[in-house]
Amino acid sequence: MTISKKIVLLGHFGVGKTSLVRRFVENTFSDNYRVTIGVHILKKEVVLPENQVNLIIWDIEGNEDISKTRSSYLMGSHGFIYVFDTTRKSTYENLPADLDYIKSGYNNVPVIVVGNKSDLVTKTHLRENKQYFDLAHYFSSAKTGENVETLFKDLTKKLIK
Amino acid sequence: MMNENDKLNILKDILLTDDREYAETIAQKISALEKVLHTRSELAGKVDPIIDTRLDEFIEEIPKTLGPTITETLKEEIKNSKEQVVEALYPIMGRMIKKYVWQEIKLLSERVSTQVENSFSFRAWKRRLKAWITGVKEHDLILSELGDASIEQVFVIEKNSGILLGNYAKTETIDKEMFSGMLTAIKSFVEDAFQQKGQNLELIEYELYHIHIQSFVSYYIAVVVSGQYSTPVKNKLQDTIFKFSENFLSLMIYNPDITQNDIVNELNFYFNNDHI
Repeated sequence: MTISKKIVLLGHFGVGKTSLVRRFVENTFSDNYRVTIGVHILKKEVVLPENQVNLIIWDIEGNEDISKTRSSYLMGSHGFIYVFDTTRKSTYENLPADLDYIKSGYNNVPVIVVGNKSDLVTKTHLRENKQYFDLAHYFSSAKTGENVETLFKDLTKKLIK
Repeated sequence: MMNENDKLNILKDILLTDDREYAETIAQKISALEKVLHTRSELAGKVDPIIDTRLDEFIEEIPKTLGPTITETLKEEIKNSKEQVVEALYPIMGRMIKKYVWQEIKLLSERVSTQVENSFSFRAWKRRLKAWITGVKEHDLILSELGDASIEQVFVIEKNSGILLGNYAKTETIDKEMFSGMLTAIKSFVEDAFQQKGQNLELIEYELYHIHIQSFVSYYIAVVVSGQYSTPVKNKLQDTIFKFSENFLSLMIYNPDITQNDIVNELNFYFNNDHI
């Protein structure tokens, strides 16, 4: 049975949301940064043992203040992927507050927290920022493809539970 | 006993042997160089790599050095020679327009033929009667009918998520799920932008098509219409949508696990007669 689910990628500007989606949907990566304006929607079928899930992925423009994200883009979401940039503290220092904000509005909607650009940081850096990074479910790299497929599949499984 | 000449020769040998050898080496080198210079393939072998390297460097530098100048020159030339540019483009544009017009005439001709083939249908008799009563020629009525609004696609979309619940399509042309998502995003954006609670985006015009949007509480229906989209067409379309919706809602209430196929069947039932 095929079911459709809407997932939304959240996070600051330039954390790599679009790159993650492109890597997942098209298996491509580009170093050229192009800011997302409004929203970009892509689709990918994920085949699980019991279901086939059509992921309708809303790649929305980044926002430094999550409360200013257009609420109509978030409404009806079945899952969220919160992306931060492991190399830029400003993108993860408000992570606990941002997660609380999501929870307050969308309590039952699963959220996966992802630290992107893992190819650019050392293990020492990860250890030094443990207090923030402990909240991350995955560390990914859209450039190398590390964990990209896994994190989307993990969220998909959570969506159909 | 050595005479003066022998002595002189020995002295010459002693003094000039090294110079002679050196001169011979130079002569050999010159001869080799002459051979290289006069043999095309050998000269090419030596010179080509140097030219290639310089050319590569030149090509790499062109965008930086000559690029802006070329762009500026082209802009200036186009600005100063509009007529010549139009003249140059005219054959290309002309061919494109000719092709487009030819295709449209072909389509029109096919549609007229279909109408003529159905000349014994109820609709044809109705048209003839109308022509006889109104005095309008039958072929004018046929042409007028060809411009009638026609339903191309219908989408039933969940309002918040933009997930496609079901669709009817005369021809499969677009990715319907992505279309539903994008349409929902556009709709939300416009409705947010005007911040008028309870007001909905109702129509999008796209060249030859109109996207009629009818919002309900939890879902909305988008109908892609080609041809003339007039107020009577809009009213008739709304009537059909409301009839469908009434039935669809009762289906949803009595069968919450309604499948996409059920919705598609319903849509086919209500919208298959595509002429509005």
